[in-house]
Amino acid sequence: MREIISRLGKFTLIRAVLLFLAVIVAVYLTVIIANLGGQLDDIRKAQIRYEIGQRAFGNPDLRTMSPEEVAEMLNALAETEFLRLGMDRPFFPMRSFEYLWRACTLDLGRAERLSSDAGSRQVHNILMERLPVTLALFGTANLVLFLLALFIALFLSRRYGGFLDRLIIALAPSSAAPGWFYGLFLILIFGALLGVLPWGGLVDAPIPDTRLAYALSVLKHMVLPVAAVVLGALFANIYTWRTFFLIYSSEDYVELARAKGLSSRSIDRRYVLRPVLPPILTSFLLVLITMWMGQIVLENVFHWPGLGSVFYQATQMNDVPVILGVIVIYGYLLAATVFVLDFVYAIIDPRVRVGGGAVRQ
Amino acid sequence: MMKKPDQRPGPVADGAVRLKETSGPLLKVEDVLLYFRATAGVVRAVDGVSFGLAHGQSLAIVGESGCGKTSLAKAILRLLPRNVATYEGQILLNGTDIMKFNDERFRHDVRWVKISMVSQAAMNSLNPVMKLGDQVAEPLLLDNHTNKKQALERAQEVFRIVGIPVAFLSRYAFELSGGMRQRAIIAMALIANPLLVILDEPTSALDVLTQANIMNALKRIKQELSLSFIFITHDIATSSELADEVICMYAGQLVEHSSAERFYREPLHPYAQKLMASVPTLHVYKKPEFITGQPPSLLNPPEGCRFAARCTRRFERCQEEPPLFAHGDELVKCWLYEGG
Amino acid sequence: MQNWLATLKGARRYPSLVAGVVVIIIFVAFSIYAVVALPYAEAIRLWRGGPGVWDETPRNAAPAWFDVFIEGDTPRTIVVRSGDTGTITEEAIGDGMKRAEIVLPFQYDYDGFPSELRLYSQAEYEGSRQPATVSWHTPDGRTIILQEHRIPRATDTYYISQDQELRTQLSGMAPHQGLFVDPNDEENPLKGEYRLILTTEVPQTAELDAKLVALGQLHGLAGTDHRGRDLLVALLWGAPIGLMFGVLAAVGAQVSTFVLSAIGTWLGGKVDRLFQWLTQVNLVIPVLPLLILIGHFYSRSLWTMLGMVIALNVFSASYLTYRAMYLQAKEAPYIEAAQAYGAGNFRIIFRYLIPRIAPTLLPQFVLIIPLFVFLEATLSVLGLGDPVLPTWGKVIYDAVDEGALYKGYYYWLIEPAVLLLLLGVGFALIGYSLDRIFNPRLRTL
Repeated sequence: MREIISRLGKFTLIRAVLLFLAVIVAVYLTVIIANLGGQLDDIRKAQIRYEIGQRAFGNPDLRTMSPEEVAEMLNALAETEFLRLGMDRPFFPMRSFEYLWRACTLDLGRAERLSSDAGSRQVHNILMERLPVTLALFGTANLVLFLLALFIALFLSRRYGGFLDRLIIALAPSSAAPGWFYGLFLILIFGALLGVLPWGGLVDAPIPDTRLAYALSVLKHMVLPVAAVVLGALFANIYTWRTFFLIYSSEDYVELARAKGLSSRSIDRRYVLRPVLPPILTSFLLVLITMWMGQIVLENVFHWPGLGSVFYQATQMNDVPVILGVIVIYGYLLAATVFVLDFVYAIIDPRVRVGGGAVRQ
Repeated sequence: MMKKPDQRPGPVADGAVRLKETSGPLLKVEDVLLYFRATAGVVRAVDGVSFGLAHGQSLAIVGESGCGKTSLAKAILRLLPRNVATYEGQILLNGTDIMKFNDERFRHDVRWVKISMVSQAAMNSLNPVMKLGDQVAEPLLLDNHTNKKQALERAQEVFRIVGIPVAFLSRYAFELSGGMRQRAIIAMALIANPLLVILDEPTSALDVLTQANIMNALKRIKQELSLSFIFITHDIATSSELADEVICMYAGQLVEHSSAERFYREPLHPYAQKLMASVPTLHVYKKPEFITGQPPSLLNPPEGCRFAARCTRRFERCQEEPPLFAHGDELVKCWLYEGG
Repeated sequence: MQNWLATLKGARRYPSLVAGVVVIIIFVAFSIYAVVALPYAEAIRLWRGGPGVWDETPRNAAPAWFDVFIEGDTPRTIVVRSGDTGTITEEAIGDGMKRAEIVLPFQYDYDGFPSELRLYSQAEYEGSRQPATVSWHTPDGRTIILQEHRIPRATDTYYISQDQELRTQLSGMAPHQGLFVDPNDEENPLKGEYRLILTTEVPQTAELDAKLVALGQLHGLAGTDHRGRDLLVALLWGAPIGLMFGVLAAVGAQVSTFVLSAIGTWLGGKVDRLFQWLTQVNLVIPVLPLLILIGHFYSRSLWTMLGMVIALNVFSASYLTYRAMYLQAKEAPYIEAAQAYGAGNFRIIFRYLIPRIAPTLLPQFVLIIPLFVFLEATLSVLGLGDPVLPTWGKVIYDAVDEGALYKGYYYWLIEPAVLLLLLGVGFALIGYSLDRIFNPRLRTL
């Protein structure tokens, strides 16, 4: 037992480190791209000027100076500060690493135009406020998707060639369209034409006063976006996983399990589900990654106040620190997704755990 | 441990107790039919096969690929695929017709406890994500009649019998060599102390040395545990080592049932004769013969004797399907032996 | 090659494959028609606008065939030109001036009101600008003065519908309704011949021209957007653009992954591990946000986006899928034989490994095309589409931005959405069928 934990631990550690390195590379790439035209520097300088202006505000001497003199003084202070911070040095390599560090720790200063609902202008706060909202929607939607697809696929694999089976095959191409696409139609039908569900947003306005009412309101607003996400990927996943189930249930060891007198339920659980989970998880990982990307548009379509919509607003308003911040958080989220799935993978597939360089199918 | 009426029989360590079984034959298969539905029509895989097997005896079933040997094994264990069209007949195990059991009772009372199986392509017969010990002990843990500790002890025992180091109980299938895996499968087949073990091509995927090792292990097991084997193979040579009796199948039908001694020395049915003639011998110089033509399609088997088209000894009578004639202690499905 | 043909012959047994191919062929035909019937320059001109381009098309008009669902005869656009059905009479009045009178008559028999009324005029002459009087003459003999002292510019547009004073004059009714309304029946227009008369006194040398446009409520095959652009332009051209983007991106991304996977798997060791790690990096890079960043800071041109999309998908996640296949293929005896006769790595990779696995590339490739088509649409919907090109995503963006759903202009959203969906589904149908045909494991089921 201890051996398993230590092997698992070592494996996990290595994966975590490699993933973190991957995130760093991704963020670095972003930093480089963002500063190809000097935008990052411009922002930084604007930030510094702002701070100097704030500090100088309390200086009583200002009142005696003319506006030109004030401007000159502030400029000079700013220039000194730039030199002090080494901003005259070339971007590569040192300053880029500096930005890299600040980006990775989400130390991005103040937003240019946006602010959080609580009133803070710190990029960090803005993003942290939005993160749980996004996670709530994303988590719920994908959990529903996974469970629904898994059980329907398992159910379907026992009815190969039947009507339902062929129906699902016919519907599989519907996943060519992303979630937000179906979202538009759902709003059209349920919001505009039928008027049963809200068009978007997080809660009703005015905000309900009891916690329960608030929670219910949020749930009601989650119905359409979750449905959109699920529709955008459900049938293709059911098709792929049912194919996996079919392939894995025709394995020789499954037949032998039947011969051994095991019940159908035991066979499904131990001989089909467990071996088939690794490829299913791998396929789901790719689905999740695509979902993260689609989240941006989805949140905009449904006015869901998460990371996606703040990202969109930031691009509209040219708010670079926020843009950077969202990209970094996305990097972390993606890496976390990959990591969690890798970890689950390691737990269920002994070939990965025990080593021997086993190949992931 | 007390045996509750509904439970599967517990492990029995002492082989001597076994002989208390009834004096009738262990297994009696009568007119078993197994047809499959294919896109082109109905495939008559097993077309009216009957035979008997006494306690402690071993039977080899030989024949070409596609003659219905594996289907017969599956018929006995009721391992039917999705597209089964017909499944009839009688299978008497110690006098009880197990064909009449419903699926649940069959699963509970017959599978593995009475009849177990070592399947073809054993390379892929082990669950890749379960530990060997867990898999091997699994049949005992069903329906909660043995606790885990006892089950694992029994697993260790069978591992010893087949010759695998006990440490391997905590390994996974991919860590074992081909020969080891085969032994593990055999161990798994023995664990519930069945009356009959069906082995379907147990050594065809192995190299010669390992084959010899496995065959020796099987011989030892046969002696120690007084089990009955049904041994399905297309490899005449290896089957000769273990079998007491031989059944030869052709195109879904049983064409000869003889004692092993008789079959390997002097088979009766023309097909069986050609079969034996095709095996190279060590000490006698002979040119291996082969049989021209192809076995008939099981979709639309020909009228009359199914081997007639390729038989060098055919005559008019062969246009009608011959019954099984008794010839001394043997049974032959050939007009040449009409009248004994 | 033989194998491919044999498998494809069996393809006839798959109705979804046939359906998908038919759909794609229709779209390709559509694209060819678009490029031929509406050449690029013309399409851009119609889409970008400019002086006079959107003069004669109504804004937010539903498609013409909606008329089937609407009772009565719904108004279409009427254009009366002075050089055409209109008349110009000129009369010298001394001092080098002339009095000019432009009469623009037209027959109005529709059952509804126009959506907008505009008067375009041109008066080219030297010297100070002169005022003009514009009057409206109804079939039942009434005259309404629209403008008396307004001084039109050399090229002038008089938005009659937006004239607030005129509105007040018409008891609060919008001019395009008030000028047509039957005095005895507030709900319906008066049918008959209407005339708009423009009189002005200008220098003799003046060149005059006028055009009255009564914009209808319906237009064209696909309707119009908020700027009066015929949606058909975007719907037609969206096809070749979407197809091109999808196919090129898929080719660039998949083929590169395919080849890199072969190289990595064959060379094994450090190279293989490095490539696998690079795939992880690629997985972690948030592609869409990065594309948005690039689009925002640098260029939103379609080609830039295409290039970046390919660059960010070179080590796509398919790498691992292909790698699994290559690992199996690597063990094949003929590979060993090739090594034995001294074949170099390059040869083995490109002449043995890749051709062997290439059939399985096909379904993946086809299935990924819709993803890229929708990616282009996604970028457009976020406002980051190519600023110049008319694409389906751009139409959706405009529709959502202008609140089409709130305003009831459902066709504006549905038309491009349905086209996108059909294109995606077409490719997906083919892709899934091919998967069933070429995937070896599925055949044994």
